[in-house]
Formats: sequence, C-alpha cells, structure tokens
Amino acid sequence: MGRPVIAMTKNINILGQTFILHPSGGMFWEEEDLLVISDVHLGKVAHFRKHGSAIPQLALKGNFLKLDLVTGFFDPKKIIFLGDLFHSYINYEWQHFDQWMQDISAEVVLVEGNHDVISPKKYEALGVKVIPELIIGDFLFTHHPEERENCFNFSGHIHPGVKINGMARQQLKLPCFFRRQNQMILPAFGEFTGKHILEPKAGDEVYVVTKEEVIYLNT
Amino acid sequence: MSGEARRKGKPMNKTELLNIAQTWFKTQNWKSFAFQKQTWNDFLQGKNGLLNAPTGSGKTYALWIPIVLDYIKQNPDYKTKHKPGLKAIWITPLRALSVEIEQAANRFAQEIGSNLTVGIRTGDTSQKLRAAQKKQMPDLLITTPESLQLLLSSKGYDKTFKNLNAIVIDEWHELLGTKRGVQIELALSRLKNVSPKMKIWGISATIGNLQQAREVLLGPDSEAFKNSVLIKADLKKKITVKSIIPEKMETFPWRGHLGLHLLDEVVPIIRKSRTTLLFTNTRSQCEIWFQRILQRYPEFAGELAMHHGSINKETRLWVEQAIRDEQLKAVVATSSLDLGVDFAPVETIIQIGGPKGVARFLQRAGRSGHQPGKESVIYFLPTHAMELIEASALQKAAKTTAVEDRIPYLQSFDVLVQYLTTLAVSDGFFPKEIFPEVKSTFCYQALSEDQWEWLLNFVTKGSQTLQAYDEYKKIEIEENGLFKVNNRAIAMRHRLQIGTIVSDAVLAVKYLKGGYIGTIEEWFISKLNPGDVFTFAGKNLELYQIKNMQVIVKKSKVKNSRFPSWAGGRMSFSAQMSELLREEMFVASELLDPVVTPSEVEGSLIGRKKGSVELQALSHIFQRQKKESIIPKKDEFLIETFKTREGYHTIFYPFEGRFVHEAMASLMAYRISLLAPITFSLAFNDYGFELLSDQQIDMQQVFDNNLFSAEYLMDDLQKSLNSTEMARRKFRDIAVISGLVFTGFPNKMIKTKHLQSNSQLLFSVFRDYEPDNLLFQQAFRETFEHQLEEGRLIMAMERISEQKMIWKQCEKPTPFAFPIITDRMREKLSSEKLEDRIKKMMAQWGDL
Repeated sequence: MGRPVIAMTKNINILGQTFILHPSGGMFWEEEDLLVISDVHLGKVAHFRKHGSAIPQLALKGNFLKLDLVTGFFDPKKIIFLGDLFHSYINYEWQHFDQWMQDISAEVVLVEGNHDVISPKKYEALGVKVIPELIIGDFLFTHHPEERENCFNFSGHIHPGVKINGMARQQLKLPCFFRRQNQMILPAFGEFTGKHILEPKAGDEVYVVTKEEVIYLNT
Repeated sequence: MSGEARRKGKPMNKTELLNIAQTWFKTQNWKSFAFQKQTWNDFLQGKNGLLNAPTGSGKTYALWIPIVLDYIKQNPDYKTKHKPGLKAIWITPLRALSVEIEQAANRFAQEIGSNLTVGIRTGDTSQKLRAAQKKQMPDLLITTPESLQLLLSSKGYDKTFKNLNAIVIDEWHELLGTKRGVQIELALSRLKNVSPKMKIWGISATIGNLQQAREVLLGPDSEAFKNSVLIKADLKKKITVKSIIPEKMETFPWRGHLGLHLLDEVVPIIRKSRTTLLFTNTRSQCEIWFQRILQRYPEFAGELAMHHGSINKETRLWVEQAIRDEQLKAVVATSSLDLGVDFAPVETIIQIGGPKGVARFLQRAGRSGHQPGKESVIYFLPTHAMELIEASALQKAAKTTAVEDRIPYLQSFDVLVQYLTTLAVSDGFFPKEIFPEVKSTFCYQALSEDQWEWLLNFVTKGSQTLQAYDEYKKIEIEENGLFKVNNRAIAMRHRLQIGTIVSDAVLAVKYLKGGYIGTIEEWFISKLNPGDVFTFAGKNLELYQIKNMQVIVKKSKVKNSRFPSWAGGRMSFSAQMSELLREEMFVASELLDPVVTPSEVEGSLIGRKKGSVELQALSHIFQRQKKESIIPKKDEFLIETFKTREGYHTIFYPFEGRFVHEAMASLMAYRISLLAPITFSLAFNDYGFELLSDQQIDMQQVFDNNLFSAEYLMDDLQKSLNSTEMARRKFRDIAVISGLVFTGFPNKMIKTKHLQSNSQLLFSVFRDYEPDNLLFQQAFRETFEHQLEEGRLIMAMERISEQKMIWKQCEKPTPFAFPIITDRMREKLSSEKLEDRIKKMMAQWGDL
C-alpha cells in the first residue's frame, strides 16, 4: 500500500558474509544471491471470510504487492520462506500464490512452520520445495529460533518487535530484526500480522523496520 | 370480589380486579401509592407506557399486579384451571436483580392463588433448566436483553411469544444510552408483530430526557407510542449531602483516587448507623477499602462485606440477603449495587471519590432511607483536594435536582448486523418484512434503502461484489428469498457471540482444590507470575497457574499483595456537573479577590463572601494556585505552561469534563502539529487537558493563528482522530458485536490480547482497503457522538471564544495542573516523520 520505491536498506556482516536488511522485513544474503522471508501468513483474509468475518478481499493483494516489491529489488536466485507462509488450510488465496509462483524465476524453498498445514505435495506441484530446516555453511535456517552448536541461526515465528521510549512520555512499538549472539530473528513479512515485543539484553542488536527504512537501534 | 362471579366463571370488571390488589396490599399492611394505582388502571385499559419511579418505591408491584389481574380477567376460572405458556417478560439489565424481582412476583402470584409461575433465564441459568423452559415456558420470564436475543435466535420463537401479553423493561434508563438498549428496540420491533396483544412498559429512574426515553422504547410515531402514558411517581425525597472534610487540609493530597487518608473519619459514621453502604468508583478501590478497614479495625470482621461485579454470584446474593436481614454493619460496593435491589436497613451512604454525574449520585443517595418520607443522607469523601469542589457542586445539584440526559444510539449498524444474523439463525427472514420493522425503531429511523441494501450485501457476500473463488459464508439467500443461516458452525458461533456486548475479557478465578471465586481481567493477571500474591474478593491469593482460561489460585498468608486494577471507572463529568463545577470555581475566584485585608488571607475566608465549607477548606490550595498562576474568572480562559524533566507541559482549563477535554486535546494537538512537526502526549481530567512535548509550543503562534476557532471544527477533529487511537478502540466493540471477530468458545476463549490485535489489525485493513465500509465509519461516528460528545464540544468552543485568554508561564506545576500531569492514561498525536522520531528518541537516551 503506497510503499515508497526508494527503500533504505541496512547492510550487516555476520561471520564474514554480507546480509542486506530490507524495510519489508526481507533479508538478502549477497554472496549466495538468496532472499529470506519469514511469516507471510498468506490466506488469512480468505480464512476469515470463509468463517463469516467480512474482511475486505482487496486486502489480500497487499502481501503480493510487497512480495513483488522485494523480489524486484533484489532479483534473487533463490527465495527461502522461513515458515508460516500460509496461515491455514488451502483457500482461494492459493490461486493467487500459484499465479505469483508462475511469474517468479527464482528457486523457492519453504522451511516448515507451525502454521504450515498444507500438504508438501501441493507446494511441490507449484515448484516449492518443503523442508524442515536448511543448512548452508555455518548458517542454519529454521522457523522456530534455535540454539545449535557451531551454527548461526536465522528464524522467524516470533514476529519480533521492540518498544522505544523517549522524552515527554513518548513511546513507539515497531517490528524489528532481532539479533542475538548466534541468532537473527526476522520480523513478520505479512501485512496485519501483529508483533511480539522483546526486551533487548546486553549484546543484542535491534534493527527497527519502518515503511521506508531499516534503523539500527543504538541501545 | 363477588363470589358469584367466580363461581360462574364470568370475567370480573375493573373494580373487582383492582379490589384484589387493594385487599392484598391491606394484608401486607401497605398503602398503595397514587402512581401504582394509576399504572394499574392504565395497564388494564390496554395502554403502554413509561413509569418514572425510583428504586424501592414499589415499582415492581406497579406493573406485575396489573399483568396478573389482566390474566385473571381473561381466565375467570384461573384458580382451578392454569393456562400454560409465556404471558409476560420482565427485562432487567443486571442478572443480580432477577432474584429480587422473582421473589416479589411470586409473593403476589401465590398469595392471591393465581397459580402463575415465575422463572429466570439469564447467562447463569443451567443448561438443564433452559431446556425445560424451552419445553414449557413459565408464565412470567425474567431475563436480560442478551437472553431475549438468544430466544429470538431459536427455531419457532414466534410460537413461544404468540400469547405474550406484556413486556416490562426495568431500569430502562440504564439501557437507554447503550447498545443493549438498541438490542431491546430491535427485539420489540419484532415482538410487536409476533405478539399482537403485547403491552410495552418501561420503568426508569429520573433522567433529563424522560419523554424521549418513552419514544425510544415504543418507537417514534408508532401506534404503541400514540397509545401510551408517562407516569411519574413524584415521591419527593429529601437528600442531604455532607462532605467529609479532613481536619488538617494542609496534609491532604493533591492527587490520588483512593481516599484512604480519611478512613478513620469514616468509621464513626459506620458505627452510628444501622447499615452503611460505601460506594467506590472502581473494583480495585473497593477491594482496597475493604481490606484496609479490616486491617485497622479488626472488630468489623463478620460485619463488613464487599460487593462488586467480579465476585461470584453466590457471594453477591449472600451479601444482598445479609443486608436485608440486617446482619451487616457496612458493605463496600461498586456500581454493582447501584440498581434495583431494595435494602430497607440501609441508613447511610458514603460516596468515596467523585461520582462524576448528578443522576448517579442522587441514585446512590436514594439507596438509604428507603421508607417513603425518610431523609436520604449521603456522605461525600473526597480522594484528593480538588474533589472538594465537586462536593460543593453536588450540594447544589441535590437541591436543584438537575439530572443528565441519556443519549440513545443512532444507526448502530453493528447491532443491526448482529440482529439480522440472529433472525437468520432461527427461522430466517424476508427483508421486505423486516425492513419496515427496523425502520420503525428510534435507532434506525433514518436508515436509508441504500444502507439497508449495503447491510444485506454485507451479511450475505461480505460487502463485496461477488467474485470468483470467494468462499465467504454467513447468511445464504434461499430460492424463495428467505435469508437464512444453514451452516451449523456459524449458527453456534453467533449464539455464543450474542452475550458479548463488549466487556473486557475476564478469566474465572478458582481454587486449586476447586471452588469458584469470581472473575478477573486478563490484562491484570497476565502481569503476574506463578507464586505472586494478589488480593481478590477480600482474600490474599497466590497464583498457581493459568490454564484453559482459568486462574488457579491457592490461599496465601502473605500480607503484602498486589491489588488488581480493573479497567473502567474512567467516567466523565456530565454537562450539568461541569457547569456546576465552573460555577463553584468562579465562586472560589471571587472569594480570593484582593479586596481582602492581609490578615484575612492568612486565616480562613469565613466572614466575607461566604463559600461552602468545602471551598473554605480548600482555601490554602486556592491561595497556592493563585500565587503560582490564577483562578480563572467567568470571562477568563486559563492556559499554563511550564517545564519539568519530563518535557514541556501546556495545560488548558476549560472545565468541561473529561470527554470534552479528550476531544479538545486531540483537536488542539492536531492544529498545533500543523504549524511544525511535533509529537504530543495528551492527558485529560475533568478540569482540563495537557499537551506534553519534547519541544516548546510557540503559544504566540497559537493565539495569532486563532487555533481555538470553532470554524472547521468537525473537519479538524475528524483528521485528528485519524492520528489518535480513539476510533480504533471504538472499532473493537463494533467488530465484536457485528461478528467480524470471534471471541471464542467458552473455556477456550481467545485471549483478549489476540482479540484486541485482531480488531486493531482489522481496523487498519478497513482503513487501507475499504474505508467506506459502514461499520468502519461507525467507529468514527460513535467516537464523535458518544465519546467526544460533539454537541457539547461545539458549545464549549463557542463559550471559550468569548473568553479572555490568560497565558501563565509558571515556574512549576500548579495545584490545578498536578492531577493532570501525573495521569498515566494518555493519547498520542504526532506530525513528525516516524524515522525522525526514532532517531530523535535515540539521541535523547544520552540525556536521560
């Protein structure tokens, strides 16, 4: 919805590799030409409508516009969805996803999440490979955050957010990329997904996401 | 009554019928009031009406008796042949009142041998009893607005109501300004056609708009309205208001809401009367007062009880009975005891903290001295110094009995969506038949055909034009044009949802060993960890675990515990109350006019212009206020600015009540934010409002640009609403009532946090994708009409535009400012770019 074309990204370095954080919540691994996206929760709109809650149908387009934007920006060779790609069972948003897959040239992988109840066979029919986890070099990609020896973990699931306080009783709650020592939790990519507020401890790094910018929070 | 008539089974005439009532009254040693006789008469003549009578005046018998007499008239051999089936419905807004009504109704029905049965059906009624009622309804059914809706959602409801002879809406004033009142309007519009013999009666306490209350109840211009009367009980009652004034005002706090400083002054009052009711404004205040009295005066153990809406029903009923039996010396209560229940032994009322409205205060006062002719005494206990001004204002209110209006809702599309679904769940409906019924109500009198079509489209297609793939399911249109819900899951969800006219999600509190204690708000309990101790229902409880929406607790011996604070209690001064308050303020400002000699200023103010004792007690605070700022006179509008470590404070004092201030704060913040990018935190109380920022406001610009202008008021306010959370919060209720979000199955309730975020997310979805949705727009309209009281806002802005602006640059917070700036419940409004705000906040962290 009216997202600006110019997005101010943020480059970070983990174990000698370059990762570009995008305001959409997507993350691009430069060396591998790989885009990581977490918690899109497609199908929410159709799911609600099917159960008698009249959410505007147009709303389901938002996620696809956002997907187009970020894939267009990085033009990756490979896309990894870190779980919860679909919110529930198959509904008519699947057709939209099918369409989107046909327009995409990148290889698409889904690391399974707790919401992903749709059969892998259906995904595979669209060309999406479904796997429980993925390891590339020192990096472990999972849906739930994990601690594993000698691995840096990328995950989602939590929908991380932070609370920022300022003078004059000002307070903001914003989605963020949340980095712990051996872990990076991605914000939820999907529109209207809500967030869970985390409290950064010493050593944690927080990258706040706004519509236009990724801002490193200097705590 | 003539024996001959009875033997032959001839119908009695009106005199004979009325004799039954008069004879029964005599056996009770009662004398019937004029209003009772008039109501009996009018009812028996087939009239509808509104009875304006206070609690404890015998209003139940005013209406129940003619219902029974009417039955006797139609069934002359009533003593031997009981004709089964529902004959009358009694609607009460509070479940707690149903027992009282049942007892009174049974007493008359049985003692005259009418054989009529009385039953209760509310959310508390067991499944078994409900099923039994479905087979055989009692003659009189006592129920709530929600349960009446549920009856309309069951198949063949028209047969249940076919022989309904009367419906009584008790405490109509409590329902009038609420969406539950709209539910009643809709139910009545249906029943008028299903139950052709039905007479409609309302009972209301005194409110400002009684005539309108009757019109809303019966339908504007309806046949029912034309054939109706307004009966006023007119029982003059003397009310005496006494303020509890601390001996040492100097140490009395400037802010606060508990009032515990005056606990010792309360005890002698309790001791000298038979039974005392202490009214608090919130449930947490109620818990704290109960606990502290017992801690300090353990001798009250066993004679002191507590009553609030979260305590389980058995305990509440026990307390109510104990009051009647005169077993209790005092009860600490919230508004849960405001209504209905008649307690003869109550001699004294103590109101702790400002009651916020004249009608509420007078109603509470009326809880004492119930016997006709007895004087009602109410003590007012201020919780902070400024509340003494309210006390002074209330003194006048009690004399002039200026009471508030209850503003009925208009065009509540959410309730209509719910109602249409209700009809579709039971037997289905034909729009052609229902539209004129709906339009005949007060709430929907302006409903247009377009809006109606939109609503029908909404419930059948989810407000969209039909698209491929759409699986939207709710109401289906059958071949013959019948609108019907055929999906059982949707029907069940809907029935569960009907009861939820919006309350904060609550969890049941239970002992680990079993035993239900009451309910508690989820947001409080979510802040506790297992092992933490909190006080609830007067007991110290240790949190064991939260499971299946149940809070499992153990008894604790720990002394120090946390008190749950329940939401609510944030009421606003009514227009009447605000006006009285302003008048008191002007009196105060005159009292301090500099015509006084220095010695008089030192001492008290007595001797010169006489203010009330309350104002005199406040003199030191007024003097301090005057030293640091001013006390505004009638033609003056005060603005104070000062800086603290929090930031730059700007305080405006319209004295118009909390809700109007909320609107004004948001309006002024919006207008100022147009001058330059700025972010505000807004706070408000009944006296004024604060704009707090990390930058200084250029006040000269505010005056030069005439930002107080009433021009473009509504337009600006609408825009300011887009930047604050108010409409978003209103939308939550609308989303729940209209079934856009589902509150969950019993024992498997969706956590409110989820519900809240669901409806908050929904709000954004509608804003971005379907801003013309009627339910979405309703959120804004309701914010205007009910939250912000747009009518009052316009009048206030006009009043202010004639006043002289006085801008005081103060050194530090003044006594008037103090309660406002320490309020933590705040709105926010910003015209700065989000990215800039984040960066600025980070930069400030170095300075903090």
